[in-house]
Amino acid sequence: MIESFLASWDLFHQTYLAGWLIALLLSLVGVFVVARDQIFIGIAISQASTLGIALGMGVGSWMDLHDVAWLSSDAFLSGMAVAFAMLAALLTARRSEAGGESHEAITGWVFLLCASLSILLVAHSPHGLDEIQRLLSSSLIGATNRDVWTFAGLSGCTILTLGIAHRRLLLFAMDPPMAAAVGMRVSWWAAGAALWLGLVIGLSMRVSGMLYTFGILVLPALVAKNLCREVRILFLISPVIALSVGTIGFVLANHYDYPPAQMTVALLSGLLIVAWLYQQRIIAR
Amino acid sequence: MPPQKAILTAESLALGYGRRTVLQDLNLEIRQGEFWFCLGPNGEGKTTLLRTILGSIQPQAGTLWLHDALVSRARIGFVPQRCDLNPALPTTVREFVRLGAVGAQIPRRDQRSNLAWALDRVGLQHLAPQSYWALSGGQRQRALVARALVRRPQLLLLDEPTNGLDLPAAETLLQCLDDLYRQDHVSLLFITHDVAMAARYGTHAILLHAGKAVAGPMPMVLTSHHLAQTYGATVDISRDASGRVTVHVASSGALS
Repeated sequence: MIESFLASWDLFHQTYLAGWLIALLLSLVGVFVVARDQIFIGIAISQASTLGIALGMGVGSWMDLHDVAWLSSDAFLSGMAVAFAMLAALLTARRSEAGGESHEAITGWVFLLCASLSILLVAHSPHGLDEIQRLLSSSLIGATNRDVWTFAGLSGCTILTLGIAHRRLLLFAMDPPMAAAVGMRVSWWAAGAALWLGLVIGLSMRVSGMLYTFGILVLPALVAKNLCREVRILFLISPVIALSVGTIGFVLANHYDYPPAQMTVALLSGLLIVAWLYQQRIIAR
Repeated sequence: MPPQKAILTAESLALGYGRRTVLQDLNLEIRQGEFWFCLGPNGEGKTTLLRTILGSIQPQAGTLWLHDALVSRARIGFVPQRCDLNPALPTTVREFVRLGAVGAQIPRRDQRSNLAWALDRVGLQHLAPQSYWALSGGQRQRALVARALVRRPQLLLLDEPTNGLDLPAAETLLQCLDDLYRQDHVSLLFITHDVAMAARYGTHAILLHAGKAVAGPMPMVLTSHHLAQTYGATVDISRDASGRVTVHVASSGALS
């Protein structure tokens, strides 16, 4: 099994490397999403970036600009995905205000609006509809060297930021009122976190699609949460889980000829059940 | 005992939000090792005063002077009424308390000793490795105090920390605070609605009513006259030789 995986390296090494680096990056960012109890935000942002890609694909044909090459370039579509993801992240990052609309309602609205519009916009374009379906169902095949370097850079930045400011980030994620009381500008931190979340989800969506992006964002952190006793340990365990399961998923997918993204997410979902059982056993003791 | 140094002085301070003034002409001097209580009906500016000291709100007028060590707020501790931690998040008492040091710029070598000292002060050292969620309500409040103490504060601000606690838990918490100002000379500013608690434990009080404040030593502030003005009822406070405090309210009899 491992030999056949190694044999496939020449052909799929960019897919594997991009998948692992996305797993490393999103499993770290996912700890904040889980710590702030904003899991649904992840899928709303993913859906918003799908809308950005759908708009990017449609704009050339609607404006009759078929000759403008950059409108169909990967960079433009990635930019649209990131822009919409960031916009959605900022919109959903707002805290619920007394008497106002709840945070969950706004997140739900963003998800539903983006989900419906992204299909409507490309409904009469067979190629566009295929692309949206591919994004929703997830495929890591097609990752390029540039994707690998992009996610390596983003992972490096995330690890560096965590190394420098992990306590501030922890306090901000766990107890924002206290963070404000000790002098942290919570609204700035919230905006920064939302923009970073939008950036990494937007870029990941373009390369790996919604299922892998959302799955790898929340599942490793949720598994780690059930295994760890302290939040700071989640930053170590969550990426270890993501990378380990990612590797196993890729090996199995290669051996049995299944798509690697779906295999990895299915394994992580199964692992979460094991983690829940472990947690129940600990509580029972 | 010689007079301690002043750590906070307010002169003709006016506080509020936007154009709305909540509190005006506040004059106050808090010295090291004093236990202040801030009392008054809801909406009179108690929390606004705390937020101003914490630097979240700028005064509308007047002067708020803080001792050099407090200007950066690194040596000010804050204990909120409750903590809105995500209950699904795993955390130990030790990790929870350690978070209080954020922004205090404590040298690495002192962080461990500060943590041990803070947990010891509130009697939770033996529970440090335990899950925060396994603590009782009273222990969680003490963990909140420890989280503020880990900064080694000179001034500790407490926003109704005994709310929702049963009597023994509240008593244990207050005993911790009593030790803090007597033994460690930490100045305390405690917001509460409990006049009896203030009279029993405090050295000084601020009484807020109708946008005005009366502040000073406890016997000069908690007088029947001031209390009647504030609460609109005849309130008498008596203290026996053992230190037991009784608060009588004319309409409903003895409170405590």
